[in-house]
Amino acid sequence: MKRYDFLVYFGKKAMLFFLSIFLLSVFVFYISRLAPGDPLLSYYGERAERLGPQEREWAEKRLGLNESVTVQYVRWLKNALRGDFGISYKYKMEVTEVIKGRIGNTLILGGSGFLLIFGLALLTGILCAWREDGILDRILCKVGTVVSCIPEFWLSLVLILIFSVNLRWLPSSGAGAAGAADDFCGRIRHLILPLTVIVAEHLWYYAYLIRNRLLEEMRADYVLLAKSKGLNKRRILFAHCLRNAVPSYISLMAVSVPHILGGTYIVETVFSYPGLGTLSYESARYKDYNLLMLLCILSGALVIFCSIAAKAINERMDPRTGNRNIAAGAEVQRR
Amino acid sequence: MEKRLKVDHLSISFDTPQGEVEAVRDVSFSLSSGEVLALVGESGCGKSVLCRGIMKLLPASAKMKSGSIYVNGVDITKFREREMQKMRGRVFSMVFQDPLTVLNPTLTVGAQIAEAVKIKTPGLSRDEIQKRVSELLELVGIDRSLERMKYYPHQFSGGMRQRSVMAIALAGNPSILFADEPTTALDVMIQAQILDLLRRIQKTLGTATVFVSHDLGAVARVADRVAVMYAGKIVEIGTAEELFYDPKHPYTIGLLRSLPSYSKGCGTLSAIPGMPPPLLHPPKGDAFACRNEYALAIDYEEEPPMFRVTETHYAATWRLDARAKKRYGGQIKKGDENEEGRIT
Amino acid sequence: MKKEGLLEVSHLTCLYPISKKTEIRAVSDVSFQIRSGEIFGLIGESGSGKSTIARCVMNLLKPANGSVFYRGIDIYDKKEYRKHKKMLQTERQLIFQDSGSSLNQRMKVHEVIAEPMKIQRRKPLRGSYRAEAEFQMQHVGLDVSYLDQYPAELSGGQRQRLAIARALTMEPKLLVADEPIASLDVSIQAQIVNLFLHLREEHGFSFLFIAHDLAMAEFLCDRVGVMYRGRLVEEAPVKELFERPIHPYTKALLSAIPIPDPVKERARKPAEFHEGDFFFDGEWTQERAEHFVLREGGRTL
Repeated sequence: MKRYDFLVYFGKKAMLFFLSIFLLSVFVFYISRLAPGDPLLSYYGERAERLGPQEREWAEKRLGLNESVTVQYVRWLKNALRGDFGISYKYKMEVTEVIKGRIGNTLILGGSGFLLIFGLALLTGILCAWREDGILDRILCKVGTVVSCIPEFWLSLVLILIFSVNLRWLPSSGAGAAGAADDFCGRIRHLILPLTVIVAEHLWYYAYLIRNRLLEEMRADYVLLAKSKGLNKRRILFAHCLRNAVPSYISLMAVSVPHILGGTYIVETVFSYPGLGTLSYESARYKDYNLLMLLCILSGALVIFCSIAAKAINERMDPRTGNRNIAAGAEVQRR
Repeated sequence: MEKRLKVDHLSISFDTPQGEVEAVRDVSFSLSSGEVLALVGESGCGKSVLCRGIMKLLPASAKMKSGSIYVNGVDITKFREREMQKMRGRVFSMVFQDPLTVLNPTLTVGAQIAEAVKIKTPGLSRDEIQKRVSELLELVGIDRSLERMKYYPHQFSGGMRQRSVMAIALAGNPSILFADEPTTALDVMIQAQILDLLRRIQKTLGTATVFVSHDLGAVARVADRVAVMYAGKIVEIGTAEELFYDPKHPYTIGLLRSLPSYSKGCGTLSAIPGMPPPLLHPPKGDAFACRNEYALAIDYEEEPPMFRVTETHYAATWRLDARAKKRYGGQIKKGDENEEGRIT
Repeated sequence: MKKEGLLEVSHLTCLYPISKKTEIRAVSDVSFQIRSGEIFGLIGESGSGKSTIARCVMNLLKPANGSVFYRGIDIYDKKEYRKHKKMLQTERQLIFQDSGSSLNQRMKVHEVIAEPMKIQRRKPLRGSYRAEAEFQMQHVGLDVSYLDQYPAELSGGQRQRLAIARALTMEPKLLVADEPIASLDVSIQAQIVNLFLHLREEHGFSFLFIAHDLAMAEFLCDRVGVMYRGRLVEEAPVKELFERPIHPYTKALLSAIPIPDPVKERARKPAEFHEGDFFFDGEWTQERAEHFVLREGGRTL
């Protein structure tokens, strides 16, 4: 019975997931084709402007751009279901290959950024809550408000100006030095600035959230009982308050994966970091349709997956939502 | 008998944006081992603040203005948080009004009791802790304890939750127990059970207990001595029998008379008119004077001192002053309507 | 058309869904009557379904089964309800346990009192709404100087008086009071109970008084119904019920009333009643004149 229930639950979530992806693909396909621009430009580069009408027609036919959008979409969907997402006009190779080469970079930047934000926010939140209205608390709250108001691209440019242009400590662009892409230290040096921007932009919101959740918990009645049985402040904060605050924090972080990812894309573009962010930017700019589709679907899948996961986490984490005990006295019946 | 707790002229006030609220004003009492002292009064009369003040569980806006507190003969008035923390759980501990909100909803009841056990005797093995938790649950009358300590608070009924809170309070084998309205949030039929449990535990373990309540029925059941509080002060203190059968302070008399069991068969209840005074700026003289139909002129001028009635019975009312007695004669007994009338 | 009863509740059953598959039977098959000028008390522990009945009586919750007649009008019949809407809305008034949260905090006292009159477009009898508010405040013993204050500035007892004053502007016939004194202090409780008694004397109101304080219920009510786990287990005139209870649950409940007398209270041994002692197959039978009890199958009481 339990296993069956779980399968139904899981099935429902999976259905929801695939339906959302399908709708997203339709939407992106039509919108991208409605936008002005010449896809041949990305395939032929400068040459596209010198093409004669006949050559143009031939080229469009070759890329399948001469038919109606719906026909194109059906063809794309058929191929996509077989695992063939087409070729990138700009890179002249399978889009999956293009993305494969870049996705690692984005995962390193986004993933480490996410983990850093997650951990640092928890730490900052606890520090602030520990001494509410203390000097540290007040300073961190003020700094956070100011920093999170600065736009990402502006902060990036300022950091580049200071650390790359003036001080020449850190590289301003790329993911590794030319010809030494696998050099570990080099990669780290290239990560520092983009990571700093991502963390600095997002940290405060989550830290502030943790702080307020903790303070709310510390004013709860159960803290009185915990105090009166002789627990020290550290134990009350970690074993009681944090324990109750963390589930909602985790589910919130799951929802905010896309939010942080969005930030990563902007930062990647400013730092010319060879990841999915720059790739999306380029593909949208040069009408590289197939590449754009796959990128959108990948990002969309991540967003949808995260929000479904967050909901599931929320439902499962609290012992109270499990087997409920009904208020004394009343009679329960199954419908 | 040994004095477990002695409070001397204690005053506690809160800083609020409107000004200083004097929640507890010049309160003195003492508590011997194995004794239950009930603190009775209306909400806002300072009875809960007094208990939490002694355990120093009040928020930062509260401050102890004057007076001193002795626990087992040690002056703890100046103790800081670190020292208080060592005493909580072991020397004194507390049972609260609403057992649902004081238990952490995400921890099992067993885990919450175990925490208290570990504080009392650190370094116990898992099995020993489990054994002690199970003993405590049995002590407060929860059977099938091994199974039930894995339950979460929401899976317990109200009465069982309150029993668990008592198990937590008793884990450190404290010599003083504060019970802050432990039965108010429970159903009538559970109340008597919890009160009897409190009484039984107190007799077997010899715990000195401060029992805070506004329910005179509950007080009659458990208390050895009763202190009546009004507007932050203790206005009358004595043994339960003295207080219930021979109340001296007009407030105590009014409180007993406003109960329906007093007016059985009459058309209306004999209510105390008016409301308690604000503690932001307490009135001059006897705080109860404006609600007292039989107030004397001096009640509005000067605060009455504690008059001695018997060795154990004291009341703060000018009616016990030698001059007042001479003038009006007689004492005011419960139900003594005519004599009461004459005093006006 | 029922003539005698002002309010008649018959075979009322209420369900609360808790998930897609399960629901709680908060009230099941409850019937009782309230006559004009009578104070009818419903007593029982928390979760026994008392408040749910109050909500059904006030059209706030649609019962799953059964019906409620007010002056012979089936209040859950849409057509009849619409026909008598105005009368039903004004003649029945509800007072909550916690008036602090049931009063709009942003309205001044006189606005709170006058609001129902404005909604019902009633012309104030005493010239202005403010004068009307003043009159009702004096009526319930609330100082007129509070007219321009906000409910938050009043104490618990005063807020309860305010809620009563507001209900009185509609000249109700039936007051449904859901634990109106439970959150008040002992000395204030007595004041409010006296006010209820006074109002009944003066206006001949009927009351549905819901309480868990049995001693107060004994003092105030004319007839009392005892609820247990969604059922009415016993109903009788108050004196009869408190002196000669029949159902074992009623006996246990009454024996749990604390006595404010140390000697008697310490000697009191409350009777016990276990959930297992209650079966859901009771039959509503009349034992003595006006004394009804839920007789459970195959058991001697």
